Amino acid sequence: MSELSETGGYGFSRRAFLERLSGVGGTALMLAGMSALGFGIESARAQPPALSGGGKGKKVIVLGTGVAGLTAAYELSNAGYQVTMLEARDRFGGRSWTAKRGTKLTEVGGETETCDFDEGYYINPGPWRIPYFHKGYLHYAKKFGVGVELFNNDNDLSPILYEKGSGPLAGKAVKKVEVAADMRGYASELLAKQVRGGALDGEFGPGDKELFLDYLRTEGMLTRSDFKYIGAEGREPTVYPGAGTDPGAGVWSKPYPMGDILKSGTWKVLRSISNLDQQRTMFQPIGGMHELPKGFVRNLKVPIKLQHEVKSITQDDKSITVHYLDTKTGQAGTETADYVMCCIPLSILRTMDLPVSAPFKEAIGGVSYALVGKIGIQMKERFWEDKYRMYGGHLYVDDPLISTISTPSTGWLGQKGVVLGFYPHGAAAARLSAMTLAERKAYALKAGSKIFPEYADMAEGSFSMFWHRAPYNLGGWAEWTEDGRKKYYPTLLEPQGRLILAGEHLSYLTGWQEGGIESAWQQIQKLHAKAQVA
Amino acid sequence: MSLFQRILCAAALTAAAGAPAFAADDGASLFQQNCAACHQPKGEGVPGAFPPLAGNKFVQGDPKGPAYVLTHGRGGMPNFSGDLDDQQMAAILSYVRSAWGNKAASLDAPLVASVRGADALPNDTGANLPFH
Repeated sequence: MSELSETGGYGFSRRAFLERLSGVGGTALMLAGMSALGFGIESARAQPPALSGGGKGKKVIVLGTGVAGLTAAYELSNAGYQVTMLEARDRFGGRSWTAKRGTKLTEVGGETETCDFDEGYYINPGPWRIPYFHKGYLHYAKKFGVGVELFNNDNDLSPILYEKGSGPLAGKAVKKVEVAADMRGYASELLAKQVRGGALDGEFGPGDKELFLDYLRTEGMLTRSDFKYIGAEGREPTVYPGAGTDPGAGVWSKPYPMGDILKSGTWKVLRSISNLDQQRTMFQPIGGMHELPKGFVRNLKVPIKLQHEVKSITQDDKSITVHYLDTKTGQAGTETADYVMCCIPLSILRTMDLPVSAPFKEAIGGVSYALVGKIGIQMKERFWEDKYRMYGGHLYVDDPLISTISTPSTGWLGQKGVVLGFYPHGAAAARLSAMTLAERKAYALKAGSKIFPEYADMAEGSFSMFWHRAPYNLGGWAEWTEDGRKKYYPTLLEPQGRLILAGEHLSYLTGWQEGGIESAWQQIQKLHAKAQVA
Repeated sequence: MSLFQRILCAAALTAAAGAPAFAADDGASLFQQNCAACHQPKGEGVPGAFPPLAGNKFVQGDPKGPAYVLTHGRGGMPNFSGDLDDQQMAAILSYVRSAWGNKAASLDAPLVASVRGADALPNDTGANLPFH
């Protein structure tokens, strides 16, 4: 995509671009380019690698049962390796997890919480949405029959309540659609004024000026004759159209003055397009994020040893041994194999005694992990749908610790629902996670009540957790710095004798399940290459 | 915190010279609110993840060191510039340097201000979508 960004967009035709690609990179590059341009032709990397020659019964221990570990175990065992999985927790799935009635967690140095939602309701404390280009995730979801549904990541009726701005809209809940219609309308009107007055004539090729004005009129919903923004039908009406003469045709709403919106800061939620991994429409697995790990396990025929906490790893020129503590029985034990595929987060790995070089050891400690967490709050009515006509999407606030609240993209028109009450990161996460469970919930309810007055009264059970306080994680995901990417990242990609790492931390999709899956695809090829020559 | 607020804060301190502007336990409660989730309530830390502050030489060394970390962040630790003002940071650091057997001198807001510098940017509190 870099070629595209350097041109600042489509500086030449798609055909010319593709021809240029095929000229320098052959058909493979052209196909990748066609996929990037939306022709829907998949690149070869959208599939797991073929491990030609097979595993010939060589033994591999996979450490960790998150999606990276499950991917590695599934592909390696299918290729003929003899795989055993070790998992520290009493459940498989790692961060790909769903909290539902009865789910328990004790945070490090903290309280034990038991989720008290009604049956059938859940929150995804870890990953919760899938971008369209996460082909590995979608590959396995399709393969294992894990149903997905659309995740609404952007709702025109999202309320924005910004208290830190100034002017008459500060501290007043406005709708995203109002801000979008008004700002794009005003911006188009201002620009049209300049263009029509001839101020920008030097910028246009022959005939382009008129086309550009057509664009501004369409984009800004300006009046046909004089390019004025006077509001728009799609900007939530004050009276919706209906039958007869009352309500009849309905009544358009009036735009806010431009200066009021500018001063309020609410325009900060607007972007011409969404970020690559924050598309407006995404996916989620039906029933919660644990469904994909469950799909893997249904299709895996390898032993998964739960409550096996890895203490250290040793290796020599013939084998590699994992020393573990069975936390159920309290017995220490070992497991020996030809290779270890280690999918344990670096935040945990750095506490272990490992058979690695000094630079490798330093690299394991060279990345920090995100402070991050969530709270799910069950609401006894779906008032955001029933009363506010908001079907999915986020609420935007500028509370010091909370910036978004999210409504569920499941259970539409049902009785109850679980809202994501906060999803803080960094310093805000440090502060919220230092609160007691009751304080966290009270804080979340107070923030939501500013937008929806019934928010606190509707609240029932809740479940909050922070990944930096979660045993066996101690952090949300790897956060590489630019220096770390140069200095440490390449080191960790290479095998250390019979030990090979994989996980989201070894990808440029950190914090996404896709990073774990694609990292596993890459690293099992390295394992396989070693096994082939051994 | 804007420059204006910082000046106000410094002015308040000057006005209160001779009497401590904040009770000693402010540092303790600010520590519990902001730091204890990771460094733990008694500063013992979590091995491998969050360093212990009790008995920590760096924490008890030149006060500019820990003040710099608080204002700029380090490793997995976020930068608290947008969340705490100089006086609050000074209170936390003074508490940490004297609690749990630590025995280093307290420090004041001007010292924090001196290391905060122009490059210590507050965390972005703009309301873009959360990542992931």
